Amino acid sequence: MSDKNTPFFVGYLPSPGPLRWFLMTTIGLFIATFVSAGLFIGATQDAPMPSGFRFDYGPQTVTGVIELTPYPILRVTQGNELIQEGKTLMLAGQGKNGIDQRVMEADGQLRSITGIVLQRGTIDMLQVDGRARGVVDVEGTAPPMETVPLGRWSLAGEICDGKCLYGAMRPGTGLAHRACAALCLIGDVPPVFVSSQPIEGSDFMLITGPDGTVLPRAAYDFIGQFVSLEGDLERRGDVMILRIDPQTMELTAG
Amino acid sequence: MSVKYIPVQWNQNKWIYDAVMLIGVVAFLYIFLFVTPDILSHDYRINPQVHNARAFGACAFLMLTVILCIGPLARIDKRFLPLLYNRRHFGVMTTFVALSHASYIINWYFAFARSDKYEALLFANTSYTQIAGFPFEVFGVFALTTLLILAATSHDFWLKFLTPPVWKRLHSLIYVAYVAIVAHVSLGILQDQQNHVFSFIFMAGALLVAGLHAYAAWWQWRGGDSRGTVRDGWLTVGNIGEIEDGLAKIKVLPNGDRVAVFNQAGKLSAISNACAHQNGPLGEGRILDCLVTCPWHGFQYNVTDGRSPAPFTEMVPTFNLRLRGADIEVHTDPNPPGTYVEPVPLPQLQPVETLA
Repeated sequence: MSDKNTPFFVGYLPSPGPLRWFLMTTIGLFIATFVSAGLFIGATQDAPMPSGFRFDYGPQTVTGVIELTPYPILRVTQGNELIQEGKTLMLAGQGKNGIDQRVMEADGQLRSITGIVLQRGTIDMLQVDGRARGVVDVEGTAPPMETVPLGRWSLAGEICDGKCLYGAMRPGTGLAHRACAALCLIGDVPPVFVSSQPIEGSDFMLITGPDGTVLPRAAYDFIGQFVSLEGDLERRGDVMILRIDPQTMELTAG
Repeated sequence: MSVKYIPVQWNQNKWIYDAVMLIGVVAFLYIFLFVTPDILSHDYRINPQVHNARAFGACAFLMLTVILCIGPLARIDKRFLPLLYNRRHFGVMTTFVALSHASYIINWYFAFARSDKYEALLFANTSYTQIAGFPFEVFGVFALTTLLILAATSHDFWLKFLTPPVWKRLHSLIYVAYVAIVAHVSLGILQDQQNHVFSFIFMAGALLVAGLHAYAAWWQWRGGDSRGTVRDGWLTVGNIGEIEDGLAKIKVLPNGDRVAVFNQAGKLSAISNACAHQNGPLGEGRILDCLVTCPWHGFQYNVTDGRSPAPFTEMVPTFNLRLRGADIEVHTDPNPPGTYVEPVPLPQLQPVETLA
């Protein structure tokens, strides 16, 4: 049974006097909750990795040897002020796309590449210009490039897409980013492995399937998670390439 | 109450309700979107699209948490009933905030690919057999779809078209949507957090909703409406001195429905406890201007025939009453909605001194 002493509120009538202070207090608490929640949640977000597009550098044009790992990399033979000769760049297209179709006939050949730099520490990627100037044939003979085998390694870390790791998206790793990474990899953006321990001075490396094949589909189930795996490591310029053995991939405690 | 359907029947309290709600939401979003980036001062800032998505997502979760706290709070303390009054507007606004969150996510994480972004939402992650890495987006899609359905059917037209019991069951899906949102957040963003402030606020909110509902259920079970004894189709309501003027006593019928027995100026009448609008508890209302007034939205009924005053057309069933000695008894079979029943006058209670 209701109580006559409790103020009775009817929506289309003025609020009863005794209820007004209670409602004013409730309104104050409501607004304070939203203000403080916005502040605390917004101001305690994790800092993304220091990486990103360098539009401030403007489009960069360099010449070098294309190597298909099968994901294309460029070993710079004629650089500029920003990108020095001898540098190795991973290459990606615009959006969640690689540039495999544009350089599929160029393995071991010279090309002039124009694009925007994606920078993560001292390692760079180029987002290749979508227009014709993005990939231009260059006359001349490509010099031989050295590949240094580093043997078989057992590593732990995270599989993600190279472009987001380089800062195209911040944050660009983790489980919340998993679907985006999968779409990038489906689009042939170079996949990378972020190792929990630096290997030969680098904490991430381009990954491929065994024997120079693309990343096996089985690896997609492990994107964004902490996994252990084994593979054959090699160095091409300043980029490391890990040819993973899919049979060895397994989830592990982070 | 309305004799025709209009988008919103505005009144002063609804304006105040919506204004307070807007101030809270705008304050949250403004602080999150425009104040916190400078506080964070990251060398490499979070992408604006991700920052926006997080702002709208966190705001939608907070709004839904508050919405779901209103019901149990109003059951525990009747002073919270005004918060229930315009809760539907709060729900509709939550849907728009959640839609903004989804829009930022889809146009960022699922865009720029070779495939359609909506198709990509379905195939980009199909690891349904594992917990870590589970496609948590599917929970968000379910919750957003539910919110859209509830917002689209929130108007009284749908309430009347679907009937209150069906409408209420449909809108109970909000609890399933909330559970889906908890799963969406737990398997998504929470997995990547290094700073656990949001995790703490999120868990506190979810536990508050669960705890308040459990406490309100226990509160009602402890002091809830009782079942009376039934004899030859008549149910004992209580003693003739129990019901104050202008108030009611509620009893549970054998079929589980409730009846509210009102005392109006010394005469007893019984009507169904379920308001024809949203099944609000009429027995917890008051008689104002000779009309039973629902505590939820103020729908009114003549207590003798269960009819809303003209030109309104809402009706609730009435019940036959009788006095058996000092006991009030109500017949367990309801009369058709709108049936007039002659009120039963209470005997004049004489002061104790006179009896002595």
